[in-house]
Amino acid sequence: MSKVGSVAAWAFFSLCVIAVITLPVNLQTQLIVSVLIVTFMAVLKLANAGGRWRLIALAFGTAVVLRYVYWRTTSTLPPLNQLENFIPGFLLYLAEMYSVMMLSLSLFVVAMPLPPRKASSISEGKFPKVDVFVPSYNEDAGLLANTLAAAKAMDYPADKLTVWLLDDGGTLQKRNSANLVEAQRASARNAELQKLCDDLGVRYLTRERNVHAKAGNLNNGMLHSDGELIAVFDADHAPARDFLLETVGYFEEDPKLFLVQTPHFFLNPDPLERNLRTFEKMPSENEMFYGIIQRGLDKWNAAFFCGSAAVLRRKALEETEGFSGMSITEDCETALALHGRGWNSIYVDRPLIAGLQPATFASFIGQRSRWAQGMMQILIFRFPLFKGGLSIPQRLCYMSSTLFWLFPIPRTIFLFAPLFYLFFDLEIFTASGGEFLAYTLAYMLVNLMMQNYLYGSFRWPWISELYEFAQTVHLLPAVISVLLRPSRPTFKVTAKDESILESRLSEIGRPFFVIFAVLFVALLMTIYRVYTEPYKADVTLVVGGWNLLNLVMAGCVLGVVSERGERAASRRVKVSRRCEFGVADKWYPATIEDVSAHGARVQVYGIDPATLPTDTEGGIRFEPYSGSGAPETLPVAIRNKEIAGDITVVGCRYLPQVARHHSLVADLIFANSRQWSEFQSARRGNPGLVRGTAWFLWLAVYQTSRGLIYFLRSLRSSETQKEGA
Amino acid sequence: MVRTLALLTALLAAAATHALAQSSPFDMSGERPADAPVVQQPPQSGTEGAEPVEQAAAVRPPDAFKRFIIPYSALSLTGEVDERTWSVYLTPAQAQSAATLNFAYQNAIVVAPEASTLSVFVNGELAGEGPIGSAEAAEPLSYDLKPGLLHAGSNDIRFRVRQRHRTDCTVESTYELWTEIAPDSAFIRFAAGDSATLSSLDDVRAVGLDEHGRTQFNLVVPGLQQPSRTAALMRLAQGLALRGQMPGQAFALSETMPELGKPGQITALVGTAEELAPLVERMPDGASSGPVAMFVADAKSKASVLVISGPDWPKVQEAIEGVTQPMDRPSNIPRDVIATGRWLLPETPLIVSSARLRFSELGVETTEFTGRRFRSRFSVAVPSDFYADAYGDATLLLDAAYTEAVMPGSHIDIYVNGNIASTIQLNSVTGDILRHLPIKVTMRHFKPGPNLIEIEAVLVAEPDKACAPGTPASNDPRFALFDTSELRMPEFARIGRRPNLAAISGAAAPYRADAAAVPLFLDRADEDTLSAAATFLARLAVAGGRPIAVELITSPLAAGSRNALFIGAMPQLPKTVLMQVGIDSTRQMSWGNAEDSGQADETQKAIDEWRTRLSGGAWRNQVTAFQTWVKQEFDISLSSLRIFPEAQAEYAPPESAGLLLAQGANPTDDATWTLLTAPTAKRLREGASAIADVTRWQQLSGRVSAFEPATDKVEVTPVTGFDFVQTQPPTLTNYRLILANWLSSNIMVYALLLIGLSVLLGLATASMLTRLGRRQ
Repeated sequence: MSKVGSVAAWAFFSLCVIAVITLPVNLQTQLIVSVLIVTFMAVLKLANAGGRWRLIALAFGTAVVLRYVYWRTTSTLPPLNQLENFIPGFLLYLAEMYSVMMLSLSLFVVAMPLPPRKASSISEGKFPKVDVFVPSYNEDAGLLANTLAAAKAMDYPADKLTVWLLDDGGTLQKRNSANLVEAQRASARNAELQKLCDDLGVRYLTRERNVHAKAGNLNNGMLHSDGELIAVFDADHAPARDFLLETVGYFEEDPKLFLVQTPHFFLNPDPLERNLRTFEKMPSENEMFYGIIQRGLDKWNAAFFCGSAAVLRRKALEETEGFSGMSITEDCETALALHGRGWNSIYVDRPLIAGLQPATFASFIGQRSRWAQGMMQILIFRFPLFKGGLSIPQRLCYMSSTLFWLFPIPRTIFLFAPLFYLFFDLEIFTASGGEFLAYTLAYMLVNLMMQNYLYGSFRWPWISELYEFAQTVHLLPAVISVLLRPSRPTFKVTAKDESILESRLSEIGRPFFVIFAVLFVALLMTIYRVYTEPYKADVTLVVGGWNLLNLVMAGCVLGVVSERGERAASRRVKVSRRCEFGVADKWYPATIEDVSAHGARVQVYGIDPATLPTDTEGGIRFEPYSGSGAPETLPVAIRNKEIAGDITVVGCRYLPQVARHHSLVADLIFANSRQWSEFQSARRGNPGLVRGTAWFLWLAVYQTSRGLIYFLRSLRSSETQKEGA
Repeated sequence: MVRTLALLTALLAAAATHALAQSSPFDMSGERPADAPVVQQPPQSGTEGAEPVEQAAAVRPPDAFKRFIIPYSALSLTGEVDERTWSVYLTPAQAQSAATLNFAYQNAIVVAPEASTLSVFVNGELAGEGPIGSAEAAEPLSYDLKPGLLHAGSNDIRFRVRQRHRTDCTVESTYELWTEIAPDSAFIRFAAGDSATLSSLDDVRAVGLDEHGRTQFNLVVPGLQQPSRTAALMRLAQGLALRGQMPGQAFALSETMPELGKPGQITALVGTAEELAPLVERMPDGASSGPVAMFVADAKSKASVLVISGPDWPKVQEAIEGVTQPMDRPSNIPRDVIATGRWLLPETPLIVSSARLRFSELGVETTEFTGRRFRSRFSVAVPSDFYADAYGDATLLLDAAYTEAVMPGSHIDIYVNGNIASTIQLNSVTGDILRHLPIKVTMRHFKPGPNLIEIEAVLVAEPDKACAPGTPASNDPRFALFDTSELRMPEFARIGRRPNLAAISGAAAPYRADAAAVPLFLDRADEDTLSAAATFLARLAVAGGRPIAVELITSPLAAGSRNALFIGAMPQLPKTVLMQVGIDSTRQMSWGNAEDSGQADETQKAIDEWRTRLSGGAWRNQVTAFQTWVKQEFDISLSSLRIFPEAQAEYAPPESAGLLLAQGANPTDDATWTLLTAPTAKRLREGASAIADVTRWQQLSGRVSAFEPATDKVEVTPVTGFDFVQTQPPTLTNYRLILANWLSSNIMVYALLLIGLSVLLGLATASMLTRLGRRQ
């Protein structure tokens, strides 16, 4: 069957399904159909049916969702002449329709994600010249040293590889700033980084003025370089050694290719993961995007540039005069522009860089605000649906990616809708108990099942809702402000190097406590009304149940904004690498158990633990993957030790003194990207809807109590502060 | 004191021996709250209650003429507010005569006279009004009607009550309130001596009612049994019935003169001039030369007799057409209204597709209400091919208001043909004005023909809690219904079904629309069978609003592929007919002869008994409880989940049935056969006359309807399998709605259809996705 034939067949069956769905059959029929379809879907899900069955299950789900939409549209809106009901009721309706639209767009995007690609190889002797750009604004030298060292250590012919540090923190503008402290700091930074770059064999580049933020910085880099390909790494994204070998080959295969994007893998938990303690066992938030959505986008040639961990073709970028800087998410905007000019992109689903997540909730929100505002700007300035040059699937994909960021608006509506009824007795959704059961409950169940079917092992039940809820409060004003004034927002760099040493409430956590209190009052109101108004207890219970769900979310978010202090500064990566451990010029056979950006844990054989007091200086000697093959020594200081028979486990901190030491650290941490894949796949398990929901409820209860305890503690400490004053 | 009175009331209620035989044209006993108290029974006719009226009548001058006016077998006005409106047709002579309106009423003892009134309106003007205080015996009342109030033609009569309980202010107590007016006590007495005289053909409309609220046409036909005359006589019956339009019209065909001058009867003499000469003192001029249809006075009784004659039979037929033809109307143009005025005003509008009707058009007036249980009613008709009972919802856009006195928990219930169709809660504590509040009313209980829709507001109010006896009724209205409210009917599916007796009852479908003569099979041409046939055809004509041409056939085969009627006593009927309408022919000879053994019922009873006895088995109980719950909450039973329709069992007529109306397809499956039968010709005649009464006629539905004289009930055997009969030009929207209704009653088919299509869509998506975009 030809393409046209298969599309025609699909359209025909779609029309048939829509015709059957829009028949005004009665409630009993709907109820039976819902029960049957939910059962079928559950069976398919339990059987873990893939391939065609997956699409059949999704078609079932779509049928129930469309039945809901039909019913919701035709019979549940409050009458127009009751404006006090109609306006909030219609807003709720729009919010639901937005959710349905997003569901259908994401169904389109991830209907059949591309399986992992075959590795491409570069023809012998045809290595193209690659410029590696590491743009920086205010990151410290230690962080940059690791990244630059790792970039420099990538397996690639040295004469074809140039690493550039594009420093926007030491520009002429900054060095001559009227603010003396700032000017001094910029000059010092400029000098320090120049020295570091010289040591590492990396080109240092800064510019006169800080214009067009990151895009401007990258374009400046392009002006001074001439490589055929450009790899971009954020300051905290250190590449694995095989990064270029895994990505560059594709450019040879497809001359119209402008982008190879790889996932962002993070060594440390994001604030939610850290505060909820889910990093080790639950897939990270971004894995849904990099694990499924980018693969889905890739099917439609719509994988887009995510700012880092990607290789781009200079020729393509030159067509658009470099990176686009109209929005504050220059990455996606650039990809959109190039897709519009007929260039292709691909996505390689293998973590080839390791980066850092923002450490605090506030900086996490700051990062998300930038994404949300940037995507809104793209939506407004470039409206992808009507952008010329794009294929229809690409338009839909970009609409999906940008419209997603409107979520704070419907989330807010869902949060407050039950309160209209519980507090003000407004009926904004007219339905009977039976209809609610047959339509709404079926819709909700099917929705959860479809999500689980699509993203099951990448996203556990209710986690999307939690993340959206946690972001909504602060993203809502950000999104609305950009909708009102699209050109206002400016690029802000997300801080990645903060750390939280002691447990405290996030500085932007207060609104969540207010929301929690309101929802809790609404819960009390529910109970009160069930008893005092038994004649409408059914409606009250349904609305109260909805409010309870919001309350559970809000409670869980209390835990998110209660920041745990942490001892380990960064995440440890298991390596298991032979080495020698030396103290006072005596060397012992040893194995490196795990490493982090700041230190390592080493099993040493036959050493006398007594010779290892804390802060003793020593060294780890091992063969780096890069370099001549001779063993090299990395100086360390001993932090702690554990004795287990003949073996002493020593925890130590790196003491890098020269640039080469940074390369050694990078060699330890970033050398082997396979470890990251293994770590990720270890977390990827689908707990299923029931277990996932139970787990989430437990988590929510626990986090609520933790949040409340932190809150009380913060009250007490502010009291003592006052007393002290 | 309160307690003693309440106790007395309870005792009285318990002492009432008869269950209330409600005889309004719509039976509302269906789904009323089960705890509604038993209503006290007024004394039956024949007790002393009626005596004073008769005596009063006796002293009147002998030339006075009276016409009974109540078109029901009993008129009972119940609850706090109730009213009935209908019209009475008067001849010009009657309209000009001085007249008094007489009736006797009796009420429940709990009705408080000081706060209750009975009002009578004639043509919208108050004719008389008084407190309701006649609990012990029927009290005769007589109101003079002022000159000029009555006019020739239709005159509206309205009885209205406002009743309040003596001691009780609960909602339940309102069910104890009733006022009853016996039909034999209610009449208009005309003083002028010529009031009884009928002169023009139009005066047939003034045929009136007898003391039981029924009407009879006597057709005296010499040579009645000549088959060639039957078709014309059937036409005449229809023509007369269409002029009369009374709620219960029967025909008596005979060769001899009946007793003349009885109320509610018209006698027509049909025959050639020569044949009729012995029966009439003086034949009308011209009867020997051309067709004649006119009233003459009977020599002996002075009663008016309609003479339909001519020099020969073809001329008589011409005269008959002169009576009937003006009543015809095109069959393809739907009526605006169904003529129900003689028993229910306003005339019922017929809704054939989406429509919005204001309450003011439907006869519902803006009303402010001070009591506890407000009721209002109106009637709308749907066509015979209405097919939206499974899926459809009509919408009431309600304009109403209630004060803060109305407490949460109050509600408005909508009933359709006595079945609850919707409930909305009045939950605001501060009162509210409802402006076009949409209320979905399921069309499940709608059926072809007129449908009664009742709105009942049950108002629990704070002041009623402290119900001090003897305190004057509060006159502050607490509820109002406005006549700007609307009924919105959606576009609904229209297709005929075979069999479907409800279509016969509602609009004489499919016979109404037949252009050619309808084949009519009569087993014998005796008086009883012919009377039954005339009564039934006349009723069909009234239901359909137009006369139907018939052609007598002697064999079922002669019907060909035309819709046909079969009327006759069971033993003489051809077996093919019984087979086609699905009646067990083994009972053909025995039905009506044997004593009823009631075996089937006994068996069922025994099984049920055993079931309750073996109530053990927790699992089975759980399953049964679940089934009951699902049935109760969602109206889903196992049988609604079957994929293939239940096999249609042959209908075995029970001994209790006095008359059967059954329908099926003809042997070639392209036309409808309807059978009206009874064990004997005599019972056929009685039964036909009984079901012609509008209360029973409107209950006919399903595949077989059996009238049981002993219990006065119509037992309906529902349709299990049916064919569609196209009635409308094919349009996509109509087919879609038909499909929606059919799938709503065949749930599993819909489920399988949707699941099947989803699977296909899934496969199509898979196939498309492997061809589109990148693949590997």
